[in-house]
Amino acid sequence: MSIQLIRDISDTSSFWGASWVFGCFPDLHIVCDAPIGCYNLLGMAVTDYTDALPQMANLTPTAIREEDVINGTAGALVRTIDDLRSLGSLEGKRLLVISTAESEMISADHTRLVAQIDPQARFFWSRSLEQDEWTGRDRALLFAWEEYGRPFVAPGAAPKAPNLVNIIGPSLGCFNAPADLYEVRRLIEGIGGVVNLVYPYEGSVASTPRLADAAVNVVLYREFGAPLAEALGRPSLFAPFGVFGTTAFLRDLGRLIGADPAQVEAFIAREKRTTLQPVWDLWRGPQSDWFTTVDCAIVAGRSYVEGLTALLGDELGMKIAWTSGRPRRPDEPDNIEIRRRIHAKAPAFVFGSINEKIYLAEANARATHYIPATFPGPVVRRTTGTPFMGFAGAANIMQELVNRFYDMVFNFLPVEQVQAPAAPGGPPRATAAGPPAPPSAETMPWTKEATERLNAALEQVPYLARISASRSLRLAAEQAARARGAPEVTVDLVEAAIAHGG
Amino acid sequence: MAEIIPLTPGETSAPQEPFKPGACKLHPQTMCPAFGALRVLARIEGAQPAMVTDTGCLYGLTFVTHFYAARKSIVAPALGTAELSGGKVQEAANAAIAEAAREQHVSVIPVISLCVAETAGLAEELLPTEVDGKPVVLVRVPAYAIHSHPEAKDIALAAVLRRFVDRQSDHEPGALVLVGEVFPADPLLIDGVLRKMGARVLTTLPGRHVDELRLAGRAAAVAALHPLYRETVHVLRERGIGVVTGAPIGAAGSAAWLRAVGAALDLDEEVVERVAAEEEETARAFLVAQPLKGATILVSGYEGNEMLYARLLIEGGAHVPYVSTSIGQSALTAADEAWLKAHGTEAVIYRKAIEDDQAAMQHWSFDLVIGTTTLAAYAKERGIPSVYYTNILSVRPLFLAGGMIASLGFVRELLNRRPLYERMVEFFTADGAE
Repeated sequence: MSIQLIRDISDTSSFWGASWVFGCFPDLHIVCDAPIGCYNLLGMAVTDYTDALPQMANLTPTAIREEDVINGTAGALVRTIDDLRSLGSLEGKRLLVISTAESEMISADHTRLVAQIDPQARFFWSRSLEQDEWTGRDRALLFAWEEYGRPFVAPGAAPKAPNLVNIIGPSLGCFNAPADLYEVRRLIEGIGGVVNLVYPYEGSVASTPRLADAAVNVVLYREFGAPLAEALGRPSLFAPFGVFGTTAFLRDLGRLIGADPAQVEAFIAREKRTTLQPVWDLWRGPQSDWFTTVDCAIVAGRSYVEGLTALLGDELGMKIAWTSGRPRRPDEPDNIEIRRRIHAKAPAFVFGSINEKIYLAEANARATHYIPATFPGPVVRRTTGTPFMGFAGAANIMQELVNRFYDMVFNFLPVEQVQAPAAPGGPPRATAAGPPAPPSAETMPWTKEATERLNAALEQVPYLARISASRSLRLAAEQAARARGAPEVTVDLVEAAIAHGG
Repeated sequence: MAEIIPLTPGETSAPQEPFKPGACKLHPQTMCPAFGALRVLARIEGAQPAMVTDTGCLYGLTFVTHFYAARKSIVAPALGTAELSGGKVQEAANAAIAEAAREQHVSVIPVISLCVAETAGLAEELLPTEVDGKPVVLVRVPAYAIHSHPEAKDIALAAVLRRFVDRQSDHEPGALVLVGEVFPADPLLIDGVLRKMGARVLTTLPGRHVDELRLAGRAAAVAALHPLYRETVHVLRERGIGVVTGAPIGAAGSAAWLRAVGAALDLDEEVVERVAAEEEETARAFLVAQPLKGATILVSGYEGNEMLYARLLIEGGAHVPYVSTSIGQSALTAADEAWLKAHGTEAVIYRKAIEDDQAAMQHWSFDLVIGTTTLAAYAKERGIPSVYYTNILSVRPLFLAGGMIASLGFVRELLNRRPLYERMVEFFTADGAE
């Protein structure tokens, strides 16, 4: 068995995924059988950066200590539950005890103990040592349905109405979920659907049986949620991306909920003149030409990778240099490879997490625009105005990229700074006394090797930034040559200019 | 400075019953302890950390490290049930070390061993001490055995210090090492005053370079500005370096600290006395105004420096009945605790949980809460002016007369913001919205 290496991990464990699902239920209290760190990182630190929650209010640790690692965590668990009871924290709530990597490490299975303490309480073995957050979320959703939903639903019960739709998936730790959820809800309602339950985001233990009331399930993400939709046994669709993907989704959903096709087409027609009007205007304008001149890389959840590839690549003609989805398939680059690729040649746009942002910073890839598209990484996405999905998502992404193009153009234009910049072409040399020579109007001769080196360096710069980069590198190399009194620009001067960042 | 609005009148806010800490300590207030180690180690230039742990732990710790410590790529081996129970931890650690060693400009490879690796067992003697001349240092920080992230900072700093400290050179007379993560201007302010006494700040730990660790060995004395650095101080003491506890805080504290430094560095007593008196005089001149008079303030932090902050507030006229921290009690906390108790602080709580702080909120009526994130949110929800401890402490100087003036001025401004807090709470909690 060979050891696999991880660089700047992208997907967390099933303990996190399951807790992010169960944590949505206001009538559930979670006790995690965890050392203080697992509790703090999940419940107080990271969820504040992913979801902007001051803390997860319904999470308590057993706070495993050294002696518990030796003797087992049962004592700590009983003490924790007793304390929660004495504080009244469990009143009106169901109790769920969840295992963590450390408690699994010492085989602390509390299924029987938890049942003894409270027959209504449940123990969830999170399998955190083997499974990732996506599997953890899926297992938590199925567990909730099996424990809190299905037993309270009459077998074979029909949907309450043909146009009732569940939205499955949005939970804590899901990048941009409020905005995407808002858009998907708007689309469903636009063609006459009625949203039954947004699960688990707006769900609870008590409302779980109502999942059975809906006729159709819309699964927000491809990376998890489909197994619950399958267990519910009704037709389901994945949430859509792009102009054409969203149109197809609306027609499919219309058929599934028995909507009048004329109503569906009327909604699509109205959207073209409203939500999608900026896409049409920008596409007709000069802005859309830029899309075909640049490339991008996408690192994100499976839904975002497929959706952005369809929107940017198939619909707008942008070159997709490479992608890596989550959960990652074996043929997609891992972070070791992603880092290598970004260091070698960064695309003009990188959609990703803080990991990609760090690799860009390491490479000093200032000509690349980074756009947050997934976790990890601290980013607030709590408003409804930043969707990636649906018609509004297409308009939002297109608008965002056009603004980034404008930024690039702005950064090309000459500027005269208040404070003169440091002399280009590397640190001042001991031999070059006096102030750096001013740029000359005269063209310097370049050796063939120097020109080739310049061209090779420019190949690594995103297309739109090349004009600017070529000018600054050329100036830097020429000035260094003049400062040295050299008759021509040689390859070593170009190297120095490149090393100094042009 | 504007006249202060009478806040809670001192008499009526004083409860009759003695304070009792939270009966249950359910939610300890500390970042994952191991984070402290990453904070210190990831920031060292050329350090290439290798973390030995499970994926959930790795996710959480790299997340906060990338936010608070350094924009640094971090490697780890994939450790699942198969590796952990199959005796592969050692091999896994070595694989990560080898990957870390492939980076350019490596100054040190800290191997950070966390809960599951420590439970499975990782033998130090089976790890390399260096790879291709790049030093490897094992740092054991299982969260279940260390109880706060500040204390893990100490463990990490002591581990690299032990490896790199200069044990050969002579001690440089008058050279002082500062220990504590302080505002960048603070060591300069302290150095400025020390130079007037014929001494200087040699370096400040934890720092950004391995060289600073080497250099620390040449000091004549070390000042533990924050009271959590027990192991670090121990390493320097073994090298024959004198220890000064406490920090140059406020009027009384600054003068006393300068005298202690003078004694530890064997400086000219008369000169030290003159400089200490000058500092005290500048501070006292400012304190005459008693900018915080009438205010009752809660201070709840993580690293023990909240005791320093409380001293400052008290000298500024505030009533600080309650101070809590995440670290444990030790010889390094004793002097500050005694000073606080002698100046109206009724409770100093170590290893606190949110339940302790909430009990204090019930017991006293506060005009300002300087607290952990959870406590600050709790206070804001009640319309009490409140700030996250680290946000206010890490952004301005704290020490000597200059630091005191900067800090108290800011706190005074916060106290005036109560109407803003109340308005927000009223809006969001009306109609049962909360």
